[in-house]
Amino acid sequence: MLVGLARSGNRDAFAELVNRRQAWIRNLMRRCCRDAALADDLSQQAFLRAWQSIRQLHDADRFAAWLKRLAINVWLQHKRRNDPLREAEPQDPGDAVVEEHPGIAMDLDHALATLAEDVRLCIVLSYSERMTHDEIAEFTGMPLGTVKSHIRRGTQRLQQELAAYLDTPEELT
Amino acid sequence: MSIDPRLQALFAKAEQAFDGEAFVRGVMARIDRGRHRLLLAWAAVSIIAIGGLSFLAPAVIEAVSMASSLLPVSLVEIETQWLQQLLAPINSVAAAIAICALGIRKFYRRIFR
Repeated sequence: MLVGLARSGNRDAFAELVNRRQAWIRNLMRRCCRDAALADDLSQQAFLRAWQSIRQLHDADRFAAWLKRLAINVWLQHKRRNDPLREAEPQDPGDAVVEEHPGIAMDLDHALATLAEDVRLCIVLSYSERMTHDEIAEFTGMPLGTVKSHIRRGTQRLQQELAAYLDTPEELT
Repeated sequence: MSIDPRLQALFAKAEQAFDGEAFVRGVMARIDRGRHRLLLAWAAVSIIAIGGLSFLAPAVIEAVSMASSLLPVSLVEIETQWLQQLLAPINSVAAAIAICALGIRKFYRRIFR
């Protein structure tokens, strides 16, 4: 319903869609780029593109997948442009409200920051977005073998970095 | 190596909640800025086009009248009256242009779609 209204140019409907999906996209971007300000800027760009091209979305039920693809494309294009902000120091988390597990979020971000960008992207899409290897390969344009190898190496690294949480499951509950 | 479910649980626990109000305002402001820029660009193009057209109007009118007089010209002179009338729809400059346009469109679609 909202997607249909937004497709017909209804700004309020689109604003509501942004409101409902913003946390998801901002989390995805923050995991990818570990810079809160840059992540929010890229998230806004993704929504801006969504507004510009929402008429091309024929199946409203596929809005979430379509938006995710747009967001990943925005991130990949940013990476290709090699924006100077890319190497900037991570900034404060802005208006993020970590409700229950601030330690986990910080430690996870710190562990993700130790990964190379492509490895981090594959790991985030796999663990955060729960995408299959095939889907990641299709979305990112990386060969399937590379995706698998990135996820294997990234997983090993995260297991080392986050051993304290993984070895004591009660930390997660 | 398959996905580690413990890591997956960790990612789920680390999901952050955000105050979306300021973010939504930011997105909508960017949309409005983009729309204003587009309107300004259209206004500028329209003004330039109107200025250009009024400057070039005599030449444009002459070109259009030349084109309209050229379009019905037969490509091949046919002596027989009934055959000339029969082939009239395809035996003209306009028909040749239309066939070329259709061909280019089909060629473009085959290559780029």
